[in-house]
Amino acid sequence: MAKDRLAGVLERYEAVIGLEIHTELTSLNSKMFCGCPVAFGGEPNTRVCPVCLGMPGALPVPNEAAVEATVLAGLALDCEIARFSQFHRKNYFYPDMPKNYQISQYDLPFCTNGRLDVEVGEGDAAYVTRIGITRIHLEEDTGKMIHVGGAEGRIAGADFSLVDFNRAGTPLIELVTEPDIRTPEEARRFAQTLRTIFLALGISDCSMEEGSMRVDANVSIRPRGASEFGTKAEVKNMNSFKALHDALAYEIVRQADLLDSGGRVVQETRHWDAGAKRTSALRSKEEAHDYRYFPEPDMVPFEFTDEWIESVRAKLPELPAARRDRYVSDLGLPKQDARLIADDVALSRFFEAAVQAAGASRAKPVANWVLGELSAHLNATGAAVDECGVSPAMLAELVVLVDDGVISGKQAKEVFAEMVVTGEMPGAIVERKGMRQVSDEAAIEAAVRKVLDENPAEVSSYRAGKTGLVGWFVGQVMREMRGQANPAVVNEVVRRLLEQ
Amino acid sequence: MAITEAEVRHVAMLARLALTDEQVQHLARELSSILGHIDEIKALDLAGVEPTAHAFPVRNVMRPDEVRPGLPRDLALANAPEARDGAFVIPRIVGAEEGA
Repeated sequence: MAKDRLAGVLERYEAVIGLEIHTELTSLNSKMFCGCPVAFGGEPNTRVCPVCLGMPGALPVPNEAAVEATVLAGLALDCEIARFSQFHRKNYFYPDMPKNYQISQYDLPFCTNGRLDVEVGEGDAAYVTRIGITRIHLEEDTGKMIHVGGAEGRIAGADFSLVDFNRAGTPLIELVTEPDIRTPEEARRFAQTLRTIFLALGISDCSMEEGSMRVDANVSIRPRGASEFGTKAEVKNMNSFKALHDALAYEIVRQADLLDSGGRVVQETRHWDAGAKRTSALRSKEEAHDYRYFPEPDMVPFEFTDEWIESVRAKLPELPAARRDRYVSDLGLPKQDARLIADDVALSRFFEAAVQAAGASRAKPVANWVLGELSAHLNATGAAVDECGVSPAMLAELVVLVDDGVISGKQAKEVFAEMVVTGEMPGAIVERKGMRQVSDEAAIEAAVRKVLDENPAEVSSYRAGKTGLVGWFVGQVMREMRGQANPAVVNEVVRRLLEQ
Repeated sequence: MAITEAEVRHVAMLARLALTDEQVQHLARELSSILGHIDEIKALDLAGVEPTAHAFPVRNVMRPDEVRPGLPRDLALANAPEARDGAFVIPRIVGAEEGA
């Protein structure tokens, strides 16, 4: 396994990795240059028009919201925003591209020279690495092809292919990093962190499975201490963060084996096969990469004023890293818990509403419920947090009931399971089921005495030194009181009476 | 500036055009004469003149993010040489590439 050999290889070689990440702006209503809707799937060629089909004479007009979303992404990543910019035509032939050119950006992208600080590793081994962002530009996505005949949808050996242009023209941003990434784990963390930012900006659903976020990597290796770059290979077709990590690990080890055996790395595009866990070379003609970029004559250039850029900056939401830090410093959450909540926009909104209702001093138990029972419920049902049947007010009331000692933690879990189904407020469930926790010492003492009287043998054993029996007595008392007793009080009374 | 026949063949390959030797010779002459005209323009003193992609000083033409009706599928596919299952049919790609 390449993964097992990676650490050994990285002792002798340094990997140099740059990422190219394409993200569809799926939150927009309409396509990049026409009014066709942006959506996933559906019947082939049902979201097309003369513009996205590239029919002669059809004129593209850029989507204002897509331009703004790209600049917003640039501002979130500390990019410089171009004052003057324009679209270019990138010419090449492929059947999923109707016009035989893609409208993209060339030497005047909207955003350049940004950075993202990425936290890698956990605990004592954790470190922060700054990854430079070369550029972010806006372009249009291509259509999709289905290959018919031959082996299972692979292009090689297919008899013919079907083309669906529903996706053609979907607004797509391309982000290119500097070659600042040194390990597969750093690459994975960069992509994950970027995803949480784009989700926070609300510009894309960033689904790697559905292809709305696609990560390609350029990777080369060089002997430790060398300053010159080695020959790079481009790796494509990684459909998950794990695939990104594994493909890079494989590729680094492959290149090291090549160099170690006296061979050389060839500059080429390689395809990750997640099933076979290997990369293989894609056939391509170098000549074909002559894109003959020229300014898009169908659209006029952009000039962005400082005022406009600042008006976009004003729309920047709180980003996950800042939110996490706030949860740690203001609410006292452990860093790991804070990150788990802060990375998810909807979960954060829920958490903050619940904390507001329950009081900031109860932020920790609220976080425990959000990451515990609530997350388990979301995972089990697949529901979104906004429509999972539990409101922030319900969870807050539950936390207060436990904190005030009205019900035990165990009872609270029952109430949670009940309110998920009925939608009732937890207080109402506690009333209706008579679930109130009994903390009254006299009532508890009566129950304890009854249990001790009924079990003289166990009492003798305890008094003879088998003090571990205390838990058994507590259990008996809890059962006697139908689980409604305050366990802390029961524990204390049991010990006191046994010691008498 | 002269365009060689090799350059014509390269551009023709990129544009997926099949040219006869005669056409290649003809186009090499024709493209060379067009570039000759551009050489004349290049001889002008244009110091201080900004490159122009568009003749009009118009900027920032955009549309609001609104959905508009598109083409019904049967119309979209009407001129396709071949269609099947609502999709455009294209011949096998890898084989065609290899033969190009």
